[in-house]
Amino acid sequence: MALLKTYDMTVRYGGLAANADVSIEVPAGKLVGLIGPNGAGKTTFIDAITGFTAISSGRVEFDGKDLAGMTPDRRAHLGLVRTFQSLELFEDLTVRENLLVASERPTWWSFLLDLVRPPRTSPALEARVTGALEALGLEGIADRLPMDLSHGQRKLVGVARALAAAPKLLLLDEPAAGLDTVESQLLGQHMRGFLDGGTTIFLIDHDMGLVLNVCDYIYVLDFGRIIAEGTAAEIRKDPAVIQAYLGQSAGEMQAQAGESVAARVSGTETGGATHG
Amino acid sequence: MSDIIFFLLAGLGLGSLYAMLGAGLVIVYRGSGVINFAQGAFAMYGVFTFDEARRNGYLRLPWFDFLPTHTVNVPVSIKLSDEGVSTPVAFVLAIAMAVLIGLMAHFLVFRPLRSAAPLGKVIGSLGVMLYLQGVAQLNFGGTGRQPEAITPDGVFQNFLGLDKAYPQGAFWAVVLAVVIGAVLWLLFQFTRFGLATRAASSNEKGAVLLGYSPQLLAALNWVIASVLATLAAIIVGPIGGSLTPIGLSALVVASLGAALIGRLTSIPITMAGGLLLGAVQSLLGFWASKDWFPTILSSGARDVVPLVAIGLVLFLRGKKLPLRGTVEEKRLPLAPYPVRIKQHMIVWSVIVIVAAFLFEDAGPRSVFALALVTSLIATILMLSSVVITGYIGQISLAQLSLAGVAAFIMARMMADGAKLTPDGAVIPFPVSGPGLPWPIAALIGILVAVIVGVIVGLPAVRIRGVQLAVVTIAFAISLQTLYFENSKATGLTAGAPANVKPASFFGIDLKSIGDRGLKDRPEFMIFVLVVLLGAIALVANLRRNGTGRRFLAVRANERAAAAAGINVSRTKLLAFGIAAGIAGIGGVMLGFNQNDVSSAGFVYQASLAYLAFAYLGGITSVNGAIVGGLLAPAGLITVTGAYFFADAEIENYTAILGGLGMIITAIQNPNGIAPTLQPLFQHFGRWLRAARGPEWAAAGKRLGPTFVVGAVLGYLVWPLRVETYSQFWMPLLGGFLALMARGIYKQARAGGHGAPPGAHGAPPVAATTSTPAPAEVG
Repeated sequence: MALLKTYDMTVRYGGLAANADVSIEVPAGKLVGLIGPNGAGKTTFIDAITGFTAISSGRVEFDGKDLAGMTPDRRAHLGLVRTFQSLELFEDLTVRENLLVASERPTWWSFLLDLVRPPRTSPALEARVTGALEALGLEGIADRLPMDLSHGQRKLVGVARALAAAPKLLLLDEPAAGLDTVESQLLGQHMRGFLDGGTTIFLIDHDMGLVLNVCDYIYVLDFGRIIAEGTAAEIRKDPAVIQAYLGQSAGEMQAQAGESVAARVSGTETGGATHG
Repeated sequence: MSDIIFFLLAGLGLGSLYAMLGAGLVIVYRGSGVINFAQGAFAMYGVFTFDEARRNGYLRLPWFDFLPTHTVNVPVSIKLSDEGVSTPVAFVLAIAMAVLIGLMAHFLVFRPLRSAAPLGKVIGSLGVMLYLQGVAQLNFGGTGRQPEAITPDGVFQNFLGLDKAYPQGAFWAVVLAVVIGAVLWLLFQFTRFGLATRAASSNEKGAVLLGYSPQLLAALNWVIASVLATLAAIIVGPIGGSLTPIGLSALVVASLGAALIGRLTSIPITMAGGLLLGAVQSLLGFWASKDWFPTILSSGARDVVPLVAIGLVLFLRGKKLPLRGTVEEKRLPLAPYPVRIKQHMIVWSVIVIVAAFLFEDAGPRSVFALALVTSLIATILMLSSVVITGYIGQISLAQLSLAGVAAFIMARMMADGAKLTPDGAVIPFPVSGPGLPWPIAALIGILVAVIVGVIVGLPAVRIRGVQLAVVTIAFAISLQTLYFENSKATGLTAGAPANVKPASFFGIDLKSIGDRGLKDRPEFMIFVLVVLLGAIALVANLRRNGTGRRFLAVRANERAAAAAGINVSRTKLLAFGIAAGIAGIGGVMLGFNQNDVSSAGFVYQASLAYLAFAYLGGITSVNGAIVGGLLAPAGLITVTGAYFFADAEIENYTAILGGLGMIITAIQNPNGIAPTLQPLFQHFGRWLRAARGPEWAAAGKRLGPTFVVGAVLGYLVWPLRVETYSQFWMPLLGGFLALMARGIYKQARAGGHGAPPGAHGAPPVAATTSTPAPAEVG
């Protein structure tokens, strides 16, 4: 059964259609990827699904519910949780507090208790936060502030924070950007681990290596439109994808990803994700 | 109809003043990203310089004699002639003064603050405003002046056939404003300088790469703004009657309204907006005298309606969440996780309780008891700023006004029409009312404050940063004119203090000033202490629990907070409600302390001062609020200073010193005083617990010389300026100050290498955990 479904979703900024008639489907328990060159509309797609950008036409359904008019926080409560491409951590809170914020589900009266009661978190909450920290190997830095962490660690904290919200669907926006090869591979392994834990994942990245290696099913976005979809093997052979990545588009990212894609497209099956 | 047109036109005179000041605000904002609350103060200093030179022949420089001696003095005023200089000379002097002030503001204050958080810049400009007000009080005297107009002061009879006389001054003011507007527009639109400024304001790095110096451009823009303000005040100022330092500084509020109409970017729209504001105010003033006008609004509509309209426009234009790619504002200092709250509380309780009994009936020294009570209540008020500004990052300049709401409602609720107090003293202005007992009346007051606080917070859902700060000032002014000063709304006698019945607790009378004169009653001090400890517990618990985490998440990043499932709008309103509740607690305590409430205690300027002192103490922590409370006007530190330096007339310098303190704190130490001192105290505490005989001896050897030097300085320096001083206290104070300076210096040397004075974005993390200070900066 499809957890997330979009029907001809279009997002316009003025005259520009950042997403045009995008229809995708994310089945529960799978890892689905979305790739595309810079400026293809990937982040707009996540913004639209999570309620940060209004959609101009079309429909988004999550877990059988129409999301129209729902605010980002309501969607998060439904289990639709995202990360950000730029590092949008809560800089004033420790890593553990960052995770706690995402996992707590306050009631309207919780502030009254919070005012009069000394600090307390429920064991269930603690367990969830600790679980998320362990899942990404962050136990050692739980009490540090984000500003004291390396870029790679901060990326992982962003993922852990989303995971701590116990999402049904985890939307990862370029989690591997800025990570080195080892960190990127490790992240791939972590993601397969989340799937085993019952979380569905939707991965957006321009790092073909990572996406082709870990995803069950892949959509390719270019100029706001889906130009191809299929399994990793199918995508590798798709002429439209090769055209999008090697043909007209320019930019430093393409230069980066281009070589490895070309290498794989030409038929050599490589074991690990290499990029750069 | 012709009346309407006439009054609209009549307001254009004042409107042109708003227009020119507003244009200055826009120019400065574009040039250096500062909302210059001192714009009115610039105008004030310029016009006073003009008037003083023309009237008395003196040039008064914008500083004061700060050297602590009578023999060596800083030149403050220059005598130019015996009976005043000619108008053109005075005019040139005033413009030169404006240039000087503009340059000083840029190079001494705002250039160092260029990468500070918006709140730091707000505090910096409030500091400049306070400083200029204080210096003007010293140099020109605080009384009103009526400078002669330099425009023709006749009237046009039967102006435009409207059958009324129109002042020529207003006419020329409008002409001048339009001409200046046109000149500015040409300057910024078509000259290289204008182009470079606009380029630098949209992309500073880009401008640098093109070979422009953004700082030079900013300096020029400051000068233009300052000259513009002075020019406006000299030409238009006399229209409004006599001028006072504080009254002129307050012009900035309406000018900010004009600048907001121009979205802080467009000079022509701002100037049109300023003229419109003046016209609408004049018309509202005329309408307010009509029968059909709602009487409850008649006294305040003139000031309030335009501000509310502007707030509404901003609100409708705003977005619930910032857009992707919105330039992120610089962050506030970290809000440390409070540790050892109980221990702190015990220490404070002991100090206050000892002081309470020590100063009971202590003769002249019971002023200290009074000052301590003032400080404790101020701390409660500052705790509300800690919640709203420190925790959730919303700059609210209306917190004292919310306290006022609670105090007024309480006074109204407990009023019973009695003409005598239970002790038999006469109540000057008895008010009839429901006569509720004090706890219920206080509770109702606090609840109403919460409701009003949430309303004040509504714009915060869509307006952010300094724009929100301006809107909260509008609320503060609205509350002041529509409620506190409006006898129809309060049901109390206007301008007269309303009686507050003394609180009593299980038969213990918690009497306050009104009953006891200056003789102190320990019971009231302990009552205040208990309430304060309660408020501290609330704020500390908040920070350590989920609600506080959500506040800080919103403060850090609204988009990410929404993604984490936080309802950002609701969380902001919740914070405004909680902060208003705490402010309300402070307000009712103010009422009990004074035994009465009056509008003078809750003017919006005082609200600004409270935020500034909270920032000075440390806006993000409970300890900061305590330090801020000690520093507050009429608090322990000022009163102590005034007591020991009685003939230095320190009260004349409080505004100046307060202003300088804000500027220096914003530049050098944006975390505030408390986070700087805390590691020092922690270090001392640890040492004290571990120290044995030999350690004491070693410490004596190490610190002794510093103490002695400080003591000698204290002994020698102050007598040079102050005749009557305490032989005992001055050396002691000097010694302790020297030790403290040494400690701060050592600490800065040890831990400060990661945070040079320029790096305001990286506050030390010393206070977040109980790890040994000085903690490293990341």
